[in-house]
Amino acid sequence: MARLPLGARVFGWLRGRRSTWRERSTARDRGEVELNQRRVYVLPTRAGLGFGALLLALLIGSVNYDLGLGFGLTFVAAACGLVDMFYTYRNLAHLHLRPGRASAVFAGEEAPFELLLANRTRLSRFAVWVDVDTAQDPRHAVDVPAGGGATVVLSGASSRRGWMQAPRVRLATRFPLGLFNAWSYWQPDSRALVYPFPEQDAPPLPVSGYPSPDGIGSAGSDDFAGVRSYQPGDPLRQLAWRHIARLDPSLGGQLVTKQFEGGALDELVLDLDALPPRLDLESKLSRLARWVLEAELRALPYALRLGRQSIEAALGPAHQAACLEALALYGGAGEDR
Amino acid sequence: MKASRLPLPRFSSPLSRDKQDTLLLLASTVLVLLPHTAHLPLWVTLLCGATLAWRALLTLLGRRMPANLVLVPLAVVAMAGVLHTYHTLLGRDAGVAMLVLLVAFKMLEMHARRDLFVVVFLCFFLVLTNFFYSQSIGTALLMLASIVALLTTQLSFQLTGAVPPLRSRLLMGAKILALAAPLAALGFVLFPRIDGPLWGLPDDAHGARSGLSDTMAPGQVSTLAQSDAPAFRVKFDGPPPAQPQLYWRGPVLGAYDGRTWSRLMPRPYRGRKAPQAVSLSVRGEARRYQITMEPSNTRWLFALEMPGALPQLSSGTAGASPELELQASAPVRERIRYDLASYVDFSLQAGDTLDNAFEWLLLPYGRNLKALAAGRRLRQDYPEPMRRVQAVLRQFATGGYSYTLEPPLLGAEAVDEFLYDTRSGFCEHYAGAFVFLMRAAGIPARVVTGYQGGELNPIDGYFTVRQSDAHAWSEVWLPRQGWVRIDPTAAVSPDRVQRGLARALPAPAPFGFEGLGRLLQPDPDSLLARVRYAIGAANNGWNQWVLNYTPQRQHALMESLQDKLFSWRSAALFALACAVLLLARKLSRQGREDPVDRLYSALCQRLGQLGLPRAPDEGPTAYAARVAGAALAPEPKAAAAEFLRRYSAWRYAPPTQPQPHGAGLPTILKELLSRVR
Repeated sequence: MARLPLGARVFGWLRGRRSTWRERSTARDRGEVELNQRRVYVLPTRAGLGFGALLLALLIGSVNYDLGLGFGLTFVAAACGLVDMFYTYRNLAHLHLRPGRASAVFAGEEAPFELLLANRTRLSRFAVWVDVDTAQDPRHAVDVPAGGGATVVLSGASSRRGWMQAPRVRLATRFPLGLFNAWSYWQPDSRALVYPFPEQDAPPLPVSGYPSPDGIGSAGSDDFAGVRSYQPGDPLRQLAWRHIARLDPSLGGQLVTKQFEGGALDELVLDLDALPPRLDLESKLSRLARWVLEAELRALPYALRLGRQSIEAALGPAHQAACLEALALYGGAGEDR
Repeated sequence: MKASRLPLPRFSSPLSRDKQDTLLLLASTVLVLLPHTAHLPLWVTLLCGATLAWRALLTLLGRRMPANLVLVPLAVVAMAGVLHTYHTLLGRDAGVAMLVLLVAFKMLEMHARRDLFVVVFLCFFLVLTNFFYSQSIGTALLMLASIVALLTTQLSFQLTGAVPPLRSRLLMGAKILALAAPLAALGFVLFPRIDGPLWGLPDDAHGARSGLSDTMAPGQVSTLAQSDAPAFRVKFDGPPPAQPQLYWRGPVLGAYDGRTWSRLMPRPYRGRKAPQAVSLSVRGEARRYQITMEPSNTRWLFALEMPGALPQLSSGTAGASPELELQASAPVRERIRYDLASYVDFSLQAGDTLDNAFEWLLLPYGRNLKALAAGRRLRQDYPEPMRRVQAVLRQFATGGYSYTLEPPLLGAEAVDEFLYDTRSGFCEHYAGAFVFLMRAAGIPARVVTGYQGGELNPIDGYFTVRQSDAHAWSEVWLPRQGWVRIDPTAAVSPDRVQRGLARALPAPAPFGFEGLGRLLQPDPDSLLARVRYAIGAANNGWNQWVLNYTPQRQHALMESLQDKLFSWRSAALFALACAVLLLARKLSRQGREDPVDRLYSALCQRLGQLGLPRAPDEGPTAYAARVAGAALAPEPKAAAAEFLRRYSAWRYAPPTQPQPHGAGLPTILKELLSRVR
């Protein structure tokens, strides 16, 4: 393997050092955080560098043509630049940041994190740009009036189930003149719960209490209760042929099977161990999540059994949330990252 | 901050934020371009105006900006126009015109955020270029207004959601400038200055000037008398001399061709060589003074009779001619300042004979025969040279001669016509005729031009010598006395020498109203005169300290500041001032909070240190409940519980019990707080 050129290696080493410094310098901040002097960094922007070039041109012009007032203009402009640096820093400094609510989402969706900015000083803040650290250009701009507050909702992409830490937040501002950029980092101490993604095209609910070999239960066949997608192995008699004929094959028409229910209904128990062993854990949890949603939709009281954990049969949003939470946190998929 | 409302223009529906910002940028650009209209050609002004109006229209109507295909030919045409007007693209004036057109066209080509900064920076540069043409106090004030406008525009573009009204944005811009002003003043005084241009300047870097020339023809000096422009300003160390003694010596003219007096040049075919040295002896007290001279595009430096040493300029020592005219090494193109010491009592080339006396006796052949004859008669009648001088002066005083700015024109026999026909003229006629007569009478004589008099500004003690004070007098050489100054104008119009031209020859009353005339030439004690003097003093101070802040002056200021600032007393004063400021700031911040609330925060902090921080959503009652159940020593726990009970009772007391602090609540709470440890 060829060695990287020296420049690339040095650069990579520098970048590693910088991210280590960053991680260390903004370890998770508990509760409310104040952006004090040590946390706010200020550097000139490209426009600021252009302003510096302008100052040089003004100075040279004044010296060359001996314009006394030209010197005045040069120094006034330079002083305005310095004052702007101070004002830009002050626009961001001494803001109080607090994490707000983070609602639960399903894996793969964007988890919203609410962030609250409070301004306890007497100076109104304008044009503070907030976004996650990994975003290229910040997308949310807030103004925080004196003695007031503002709310920003950032979204972080979720991939796995379990607790999801809030992403690191970067606040930046260029107000008032746009010559300097003041920025700060914040690692909010909030986390969002990510439920496992409900399986697409899951088999129907195991309405009978007895585990069947392939996990598909069969209820009574008294009442027609709608259609579901075709699963290989369904008896051809049960396919909804009229329905299939109506679906246009050119649009990707699909096969659908009739569902029946009715008759004596056993208690609906969603059991992790009853699922076929050929599925891995994540798929099983996905299927269970889908069944929880289905049962809730069809208003069937359901109980959940996850190994040693068991939740009594019930119905309602609180029960659904408890079941989904149990599914999300099964196996200790908790504090990650 | 008030609720964010878009400011409504008076005459139409509210404009969107982007449009308002663009119009603000246009207004700032117009403010910056306004002073340039005074010196730009008319077509440039009109073109810029049309371009900016077009842009404003596009903004108001919401149309798109023209494509490059339209703009590029326009730009080329404009450049061709500049080339045609100034015949070059590289001079100073041409450069300024191009910059103005660039800014105007750039307004039509703004597509990205970056373009805004480009326009604002170009406007800053335009403000600088205005200083080529004027650097007065008014220009400085306009510069400050332009800066405030540009800052306001820049910060308007940075705003996102809430947009404060225009007035508060202007206030923000003004606040930035106000904070920047002391820093700028510090930089202006302390930043090291360097002399002179860093590289060569284009030919028209300095504009045209007018002033005293080194020839004198009848009518030339009286033309200068119309101009009120200052030639130089003088500040004396000590009491200034009287008006009749203020003779500012300039070019010395010795060659007469029948009409024009000019300087003696080395003429090879006459075999004239400049004398190696000229003897000058001075006696008595020296008068020290400092002259600040306006640019004149000539080399002449003026001095009070007779300077004892050559003045030092920033470009080196001045030189002197054999006639003791002071000359700088390069034409004076900018305001300069130099110090001199002059002696009233002097002898120039005093002796029994004069070297090269024939140069100062030459007269054109065959012209002005009557005056020649009169001069020869004088020589016969008065063996003593001084008596001849006095005879001519007596003739001028009593012979019906008059002193006027508009004498009748003279023909080929200028001196004869003046002496015997018209008998009225200005100082150049008298000086020229006097020197002619003296030469005819055998006394070496020459014409000296320069300035006489000066207006004292009682506020700052500076004399202002204007172009209208230009004067011509003469010098005659007498044995054993050397060159002696004789001013024939004094014989004819003593007022001119004693009180200045304005008094000797009052300007004719405008439209015939006498009162108006008195208004225009006010008494030195009237209010109008005092206002004029105050303005003059302010302008002079501006020139001395802002426009002419040379490295020498900076050096002198630094030295004097060093003595004053780096002493123990001032350091102690500074420390005291800092301490007072910090204390005031701390007190003002504290005084805003209620003392009881402050004690409550202190209690929460103290309990936090003990491991029981108050949650943000906990009120005093809930907090007290938590404290009661926590593991703390009994005494602090009881004290804290009591504190919270009292605080809650006071804070949330029903309105029927209007019981304020009650005497001593803070004291009680303080005592309780001290027990929580």
